[in-house]
Amino acid sequence: MQASIETRDLTRRFGSFIAVDRLTLRVERGEVFGFLGANGAGKTTAIRMLCGLLQPSSGTGKVAGCDIQTETDGIRSRIGYMPQKFALYPDFSVEMNMRLYGGLYGLKGQALRDRMDVISRLLNLEPLLSQRTDSIPWGWQQRLNLACAILHKPEILFLDEPTASVDPVSRRHFWDIIAELAASGTTIFVTSHYMDEVEYCGRVAILVQGRIAALDTPVGLKTTYGHASLGEVFLDVVERAQTTSSTQ
Amino acid sequence: MSLALRIRDLIKDHAGEKALKGISFEVPEGALFGIIGADGAGKSTLMTILATLMDADSGEVEELGLDLKKDFKILRHRIAFMPQRFSLYPDLTVVENLHFFADLYDLDPAEKQKRLSDLLKFSALEPFQKRRAGLLSGGMKQKLALCCCLLHRPSLIYLDEPTVGVDPVARRDFWILLKSLKSEGITLVVSTPYMDEAKLCDTLLLLDHGKVLDSGSPREMLSRYPYSLYRIRGPKPLAYSARKEPPQGVSLVYPAGGELRAAVDGGMNASQDDLWKDFPGANASESMTPDIEDLFFALLSREQASLEKTVK
Amino acid sequence: MKASLRRILVAGHKEFLHIIRDPQTLAIVILMPVIMMFLYGYALNSDIHNAQLLVEAPVPSAASRALTSRLNASTFFSVPGSIPASADPLQPFRSGQARALLRLPPDFEASLRRPGGAALQVIVDGSDPSVGSRMRGAVEGAVQKTLMDYLDIEPPHILDQRAVVLYNPEQRSAMFFVPGLMAVILLMISALLTSIAITREKETGTMGQLLITPLRPGEIIAGKLLPYVVLASLDGLLILIVGRLIFGVQVAGNLFFLAICSLIYVFTALSIGLLVSTIAKRQHHAMMMALGATMMPTVILSGFIFPISSMPLFLQVIAHIVPATYYLQIVRGIILKGVGLRELWQPLLILGFEGLLLFGLSIRKFRIKL
Repeated sequence: MQASIETRDLTRRFGSFIAVDRLTLRVERGEVFGFLGANGAGKTTAIRMLCGLLQPSSGTGKVAGCDIQTETDGIRSRIGYMPQKFALYPDFSVEMNMRLYGGLYGLKGQALRDRMDVISRLLNLEPLLSQRTDSIPWGWQQRLNLACAILHKPEILFLDEPTASVDPVSRRHFWDIIAELAASGTTIFVTSHYMDEVEYCGRVAILVQGRIAALDTPVGLKTTYGHASLGEVFLDVVERAQTTSSTQ
Repeated sequence: MSLALRIRDLIKDHAGEKALKGISFEVPEGALFGIIGADGAGKSTLMTILATLMDADSGEVEELGLDLKKDFKILRHRIAFMPQRFSLYPDLTVVENLHFFADLYDLDPAEKQKRLSDLLKFSALEPFQKRRAGLLSGGMKQKLALCCCLLHRPSLIYLDEPTVGVDPVARRDFWILLKSLKSEGITLVVSTPYMDEAKLCDTLLLLDHGKVLDSGSPREMLSRYPYSLYRIRGPKPLAYSARKEPPQGVSLVYPAGGELRAAVDGGMNASQDDLWKDFPGANASESMTPDIEDLFFALLSREQASLEKTVK
Repeated sequence: MKASLRRILVAGHKEFLHIIRDPQTLAIVILMPVIMMFLYGYALNSDIHNAQLLVEAPVPSAASRALTSRLNASTFFSVPGSIPASADPLQPFRSGQARALLRLPPDFEASLRRPGGAALQVIVDGSDPSVGSRMRGAVEGAVQKTLMDYLDIEPPHILDQRAVVLYNPEQRSAMFFVPGLMAVILLMISALLTSIAITREKETGTMGQLLITPLRPGEIIAGKLLPYVVLASLDGLLILIVGRLIFGVQVAGNLFFLAICSLIYVFTALSIGLLVSTIAKRQHHAMMMALGATMMPTVILSGFIFPISSMPLFLQVIAHIVPATYYLQIVRGIILKGVGLRELWQPLLILGFEGLLLFGLSIRKFRIKL
């Protein structure tokens, strides 16, 4: 079976700085893949390359069957990307934002209306449709952000810290939705600083200084490193990688 | 013990909505005081008022023995505020930012130099002092912001979600800094969406829709946990959606880390050893002690459920 | 008092760092006056130069040739040659080939010497009224003079009329626009940059941080204004230097007095920027407001381009509120006429009063809370 995301030695340099160093990955269809790392470890750079927004310096990669260097248009119509920063128009209503994003992906007329109905029901956004986007609480704004990213039924959904500053209750609702999307075959590629929610991922990669320092299922990682929680595993992996790099 | 903060019936309408609906609480001097709550609960509004940057509509606040309304100018010399958004100058370097804020407090040069180098050491920002603040990583930015708050040696500091968007390593480092400030006797009032950080506070205040839902030390609050909590082993945690109606007798089911948790109404006294049988794919259940996140979830889920009912 | 002054200097120093860290803005601040001087100096020039003039001579003669070459020799006009009679004399105007047309009759040479004289017609393009009337005067004057010379006759002696043109005898427009540009540029730099600088602190959240320090609102403002006073002074100097070197404009009056008056004007302009920043919430709002409050009234209403005396009454009233109106009276007085305080105390007083009023208003409006 063809993988959703497959990269080989994907590298990106900025001058002499290597942001992403020989990233080799394979993510299967319908998998929830957690992508962790300290600030500045290269997560966002890697995601931008996978989304076809940034050219790699070397290495190859395929996302949803499209080459990340030559078929970026194909990638963009097959993926959804929810960036770290809020990318919606605060002065538009919830519904106008959804209609706008649907339109940008070529949805229109009845098809767009049907899809908006489905998504707003899935995300419980129905009561808020007519409200101004900046008047609803942050957790709900993030839901709307997600709604806009999945209107066009993407094969792969990239989520860059989707739950930053979202309270625990809203975060759980958010992950419910992610689980439902994954169950229906959408591949999820997610970054987060909340180690408890990373446990929901099928597999987790921990990135340190642009390189994958650990990659396994949450249970596998906890067993290998002998910790009870992924939070401790993360601290352990980052510290080990930093001590080896500083002794070199 | 003397109080750093005493608040009575604080009310504030913000942007046409009731942001704070009569809040009262006290913070003892030298405490590490945590404020938790859902988005829009009023945490930031409360902090901005206490930091003298916004007026409340009504209510009394006594801060460091002074009246917030009358003596806010004196208070500004003795408190510090680290807002949610990075609020330093990105085009100035680390030292330039520090120098600027230090110079505003009229320190003599030797004292200033000493505090600056102490803070750079304390925050481990020394190697980055010539770097522009806008180019620092998220964790380093927050440390610099904290340093700028500390220059005038305040006795009370407000920190509004200081570790949001900061990775776990930097988050841990930041809390080590906070702990060491507490050991120097500085009162810290911190809001956070991370429940593992809430655990580190001496006293917690749970805000919801502009009201105090609960407060006390983490231990006290946990003793008021309204359910019996069980860990259900076996099913994939995310396979059980919160949208589904929980099994008979179970009030809440939710994933937590790699497992599923079920909150059973304490008065029910069901045959809890075989609770797992109600969950497809489960093979065991065991009783467990709740943590702050379980408490938060229990209290807020009830609120949210009633809210969603009224919305529908 | 001493501590307060020190804090102002600290805030000013920080503002100065912002300015030098932002090379784009700095370049705009330095280049804008120079660019504007060249634009105004060369584009706003209403001196007529090489306008296309056609001479319609159905029968070329010595007289028509004399006229053609004389007109062509003047810097006003360029005459491509004479053309034969045409059925549609307005055609060259419609196609843009000509700005003026001189039509001679077929018997021009002969009728010149007949009693009753020759009939000729001057047609000018009057779409720009002042250029049109000046072309007309120039053609008529040149024709009269050439033909007198050609016929070798003296004009009858009735009047001895002599005019003296004061202050700008060569009537060069540079003498006029350099003082005007001082008014426009000083106002723009001061008002625009301060309003943006203060609004930026509000937008990025740093204003909150400043407010909870011992820095008092007045000190925040004074510290903000300090570097822009320096920048505006540099720009003023730059305009005078370029005006002197490239456009040959010399300051007739006292330079020191000019500097003092300019500082008062800059203070008024900064106060406008300040007032804008107390209202605007975003940098782009501040920019639009500051431009609207400074550029438009200064260029159009201050008397920089259009004389105030020819405006309708209600515009004249507004023009007398615009600070640039008074500054323009002052700079023109100093640069062109070389006059001093004795003649200029009135506009100077009004300018200073306006500045104090605006400054006081904005300090009052500047909120010490968010």
